[in-house]
Amino acid sequence: MSSPPETPEHPSPLRISSEEDFDLGSRVGEDRVLGQLPSELSSRTLRAELGGYLIGLALAALLTAAAFLSVGTQAIYAPGIVMAVVVFGLAQVGVHLVFFLHMTTAPDNTNNALALAFGFLIVCVIVFGTIWVMHQMDHNMMPTSSSLTMLH
Amino acid sequence: MTLLGKLSWQALPLNEPLPLFSGVAVFLIVIALIAWLGIKGYLPYLWREWITSVDHKRIGVMYCLLAWVMLLRGFIDAIMMRAQQAVAFRAPGFLPPSHFDQVFSAHGTIMIFFVAMPFVIGLMNLIVPLQLGVRDVAFPTLNSVSFWLTCAGALLVNISLVVGEFSRTGWLPFPPLAELKFSPGVGVDYYCWAIQISGIGTLMTGINFVTTILKLRAPGMHYTRMPMFCWTALASNLLIIAAFPVLTATLAMLLLDRYLGFHFFTNSGGGNSMLFMNLIWAWGHPEVYLLVLPAFGIYSEVVSTFSSKPLFGYRSMVYATMAICLISFMVWLHHFFTMGAGADVNAFFGIMSMIIAVPTGVKIFNWLFTMYGGTVRFASPLLWSLGFIVSFAIGGMTGVMLAIPPADFQLHNSLFLVAHFHNVIIAGVLFGAFAGYTYWFPKAFGFKLDERLGKWAFWLWVIGFWVAWGPGYVVGLEGMTRRLQHYDVAAWHPWLIVAAGGVAIIAAGVAVQIAQLVVSIRTRERRRDITGDPWDGRNLEWATASPPPSFNFAVLPNVTDQEPYWDMKTRARESGHLATPEPHYEPIPMPRNSPTGFVTAFFAVLTGFALIWHIWWIVLIGLTGAYANFVLFAWRDHDEVLIPAGEVARLDRANRAARTAALERATA
Amino acid sequence: MSAPSTALRTGKDPYHLGHAPSSGTPEFTGHGAGGPAPKPIVVGYGFWLFILSDVVLFASFFAAYAVLVYARAGGPGPRDLFDLRTTEIETACLLLSSFTCGLASMAVGRRSLLWTEIALAVTGLLGATFIGIEIHEFARLVAADDGPSRSAFLTAFFTLVGCHGLHVTCGLLWLATMMAQLRAKGFTPSVRHRYLCYSLFWHALDIVWIGIFSGVYIIGVLMQ
Repeated sequence: MSSPPETPEHPSPLRISSEEDFDLGSRVGEDRVLGQLPSELSSRTLRAELGGYLIGLALAALLTAAAFLSVGTQAIYAPGIVMAVVVFGLAQVGVHLVFFLHMTTAPDNTNNALALAFGFLIVCVIVFGTIWVMHQMDHNMMPTSSSLTMLH
Repeated sequence: MTLLGKLSWQALPLNEPLPLFSGVAVFLIVIALIAWLGIKGYLPYLWREWITSVDHKRIGVMYCLLAWVMLLRGFIDAIMMRAQQAVAFRAPGFLPPSHFDQVFSAHGTIMIFFVAMPFVIGLMNLIVPLQLGVRDVAFPTLNSVSFWLTCAGALLVNISLVVGEFSRTGWLPFPPLAELKFSPGVGVDYYCWAIQISGIGTLMTGINFVTTILKLRAPGMHYTRMPMFCWTALASNLLIIAAFPVLTATLAMLLLDRYLGFHFFTNSGGGNSMLFMNLIWAWGHPEVYLLVLPAFGIYSEVVSTFSSKPLFGYRSMVYATMAICLISFMVWLHHFFTMGAGADVNAFFGIMSMIIAVPTGVKIFNWLFTMYGGTVRFASPLLWSLGFIVSFAIGGMTGVMLAIPPADFQLHNSLFLVAHFHNVIIAGVLFGAFAGYTYWFPKAFGFKLDERLGKWAFWLWVIGFWVAWGPGYVVGLEGMTRRLQHYDVAAWHPWLIVAAGGVAIIAAGVAVQIAQLVVSIRTRERRRDITGDPWDGRNLEWATASPPPSFNFAVLPNVTDQEPYWDMKTRARESGHLATPEPHYEPIPMPRNSPTGFVTAFFAVLTGFALIWHIWWIVLIGLTGAYANFVLFAWRDHDEVLIPAGEVARLDRANRAARTAALERATA
Repeated sequence: MSAPSTALRTGKDPYHLGHAPSSGTPEFTGHGAGGPAPKPIVVGYGFWLFILSDVVLFASFFAAYAVLVYARAGGPGPRDLFDLRTTEIETACLLLSSFTCGLASMAVGRRSLLWTEIALAVTGLLGATFIGIEIHEFARLVAADDGPSRSAFLTAFFTLVGCHGLHVTCGLLWLATMMAQLRAKGFTPSVRHRYLCYSLFWHALDIVWIGIFSGVYIIGVLMQ
């Protein structure tokens, strides 16, 4: 594999060290960007990196298949199928975060994880808050004329 | 399908004197201004140094300028409303209902989106990188884009005065009134597109500042050594990131209803107009906390500087700020207690709304304790802060009253509510902006504002505010609802006349502020800030010259404690020479100026206007142009400009010499 | 650098449990006290924040969908309209494109223009297939008079899924621009930062799609 020469550039004022080894993973004492390899993979063998992506693909495909197959299946207790689909979905999100985006719990990833947690909190507040509020609203409202004429 | 969509000559207000004359007047003033600038040869300078600038200090100043200009526009709307209500007792008044509706809608929209937000964002832009001890924000060009997109939104709202009409639904476009069936004109479209465009700018600002505060700080500046203003800026920008997408989504839903016949909020087809209320206030409440938190930060800075004491209870302030940030996301239903969600829901949100008063109270006590035992200097920034503490405490208490659902059933949408939010926004956000404006003006321009006129302005504002809005609480309790173009209850009439008088007092205050600016510029040599530290400040922004060089600091400061600049000064005063020796000067690479922001805004205005008037081919041109502009920016090879070491040395040595001279005078 | 730094590098003691924090320069990451972070980290973090704001945008549309899902106005519901086979194919396309995007990241890390362009081209093709299928599905619904103006349920469905599709389309436009820029400029630092942002965006779109195919299609068919 060839590597074209890089253009030389000035050190940026917003940078205190060179970034030539950016793709090697985080340096000591610094945060890691999401999507950047963790330092354990800094050995950069093709097999290790490719292996990570392949495992991620396999797991995600498995969870996807499970979600689709659970429709109309007898294998899962019927009232629990919706919950199963939710669990499969959340698990797949986790697979994406870990295997494709290289998210870890190491301290060099804390800021990314905290940002994700904050985002997740806001999403939960908005989605479940809205559902709760609107459901209560609906419960307390008189049916509209159109819903009265509907048979179901 | 005509070439110009819905646009025709009928869009011009040829038979409405008020908008026609004001539109022509503004147009002539703008043309005259541009002509004067051109003749004097300032235009190339303005283009090179301001319009294409990606320097956070310049962008901050431009945001504040936008805020000031739009404050005047929004204030004229306020004068019109108060005058109308003062005379419209059993009388039609002078503003026909369709105009009155546009006036109160424009007033609220302009004041929130184009005065309060730009003012607060402008001050954060100017000061946060300086306080963090770094050279610029994380994404300087994006910063410029944010500013110009905000201007684009403001421009669209102002264009609506002369081309077409503005929204008549209030500052938030509630369906079904805002749906196409009941608002077939272009007003709501003007509103929605202006807010969508400026909303993108604001979201970019949020991302920019959170990244800056979390990832770009001077060496040694732990979180617990950050100035309070930076903490509140962090909380506020986290709220922007969390809340503004909800606004974008909700207005997009309304636009889809209006443009493509969707059924999100319509009465037919299963739409649910209450869903709009829920979503828009899920944005709307964090929005107001986003406005007030930086103001709280400004008060922390001002109170500690002018009490010559460190801020009392720094950690509790940080916890209180982050608590407010989090809880502000869990109170939004208090804006529609009366919509019928039931007792359980109302109780939860009512209690949460009351809880959020607790961290705010913690902050107020900390400010008071900061002043206690300190050497207090009653300069005008501190006067604004004291006016805030007294007035905001009252306004906040009325908020807690409104947080009680049964009480809110009486007071919802009454003048009591209107008085409450004017109380907290004016006495909270606007006074904070004025305090910050006065406090940091010398940092931005190199000379202080006239202090005597500043004190006059403060007293006129604070007295005028209470004369204008005290009556609001009274008539609210007497049953007056908001947005009335006329009324026939005799008991309200004297109060509304008093309120109009209050607006006149505020108008005098504004006039004094304008005079203050003019006089201060004329006599600026008398109040030059030679050292860069005119107020005996405590944080790093005062370690730079006034105005700071483009690179802010020749060498990034090493931070070893809270209030790093105070630390430096103490060491200097004890030793008799500057705390840091003359550094070895290196050339400094700085981001290159770029017209990307201005060009993006140009295409945004074009696209927005075309969308409003259904001129689809111009929409296509606008979007293509914006994309092309973006690709051009992404394609450039040189994104930095190197400031030579000699230049850095010259500027830094001049400031060091001034500071040394001042130090010698002080210790002599 | 003292002992904890090597521990971090080998991943054996990332939380410094076995060592006292060293005095002087703080070792801990994430506290930002080492001065301004390097540009890749600043760019990457900023873009991650943008992704999260985009997720909040999708959450709003999701919330609206959850509220309006039963507002059928006498019209059809999920079971009548959704063909899960189509959804399966769309999901496979997008998941594979996420994988090939990861392959492209590997190629970028090794500075191989050929393999990067190949991986990106495959990613783009898979993404375009996804969009093609989705447009076909929308067109079929609109032709059968079950378009977004039929009912609030369909409005919310078209908007949520359409918003995702719009994001994917913008991603394809970005992809094409990236491929052109890679050929023109090679692997300069800013191109690599931009590529990192692109891969973050593309993976995030697949994550949002997980929410859509689970929450809208599968659960829609299950709960009618």
